[in-house]
Amino acid sequence: MAALATEGVYSLGRGRYVEAATYEGGEKVSGVVVTPEDLEIHIVARYPLPKPIPEIAEDIRERVATEAGGRKTMVVVDDLEVMGDEGL
Amino acid sequence: MRVFNRIFMILLLAGLFVLGAYVVVYAFDLFGYKLQSLPVTDFAKGLENFVAGVEGGSLSVMTQIILVLLAVLGLLWFIAELRPGAPRRVRMGSGTYVTRGVVEDEVSTVAEQVPDVLGSSVGVKARRSPGAQVDLEARVRRGEDLGTIKSGLQSTVQQRLSQKGLPVRKLNVKLVEADPRQTKARVQ
Repeated sequence: MAALATEGVYSLGRGRYVEAATYEGGEKVSGVVVTPEDLEIHIVARYPLPKPIPEIAEDIRERVATEAGGRKTMVVVDDLEVMGDEGL
Repeated sequence: MRVFNRIFMILLLAGLFVLGAYVVVYAFDLFGYKLQSLPVTDFAKGLENFVAGVEGGSLSVMTQIILVLLAVLGLLWFIAELRPGAPRRVRMGSGTYVTRGVVEDEVSTVAEQVPDVLGSSVGVKARRSPGAQVDLEARVRRGEDLGTIKSGLQSTVQQRLSQKGLPVRKLNVKLVEADPRQTKARVQ
């Protein structure tokens, strides 16, 4: 949710090559892969980009820092969503 | 290399399967085939002579060359296997990655905004170090000044990508003269 609220993020990604998701307690959270050491957040960026991708990634890291529990946070841009092409 | 390995393993396993089928047929004397009828002794004798030749150092020059080539080939294959595969995602540094598709889309969009470019195709290779290798093929009208278009296109793509924070380590631009009737855009 924190990642989704970041400027420039259209939605959470699903992973390009393998599914990016975390299963816990009978629930599946797509777009986030949590391991004991790492936190991988997959996003679809809004295009045109409001700011450079490294800055969007840094904003996401700052927003999720409190929930990351000290894990190393990686941000993966899976795709771009061109505004005006929604629903096509 | 992985594709080659896969093909090699499929052929090897198919061969082993066929050999296994033959062994079963001959071992149980099926369809009139008997184990005694196999020319195993001739093969064993030939192998024995070959091994004796290797031990005695009396192999022909051609056989020695073939054995050395096989050893070199095996060594090269071994080294190729030890090399780690190319990463799938483009590393941007400090734990941020983009898929190759994102870089391809962006390069293609930027290239096709350049007035002289009528169409483009883009290939992106991720590297272990930050940044991607981009191979851009742009189609332009015949008779244009290719040198000027190429340098302009190169600088435009580099500039736009750095604005977006997409790191490009190497940008190869190739211009192809094309008939506007066969390109994505006829006029820019």
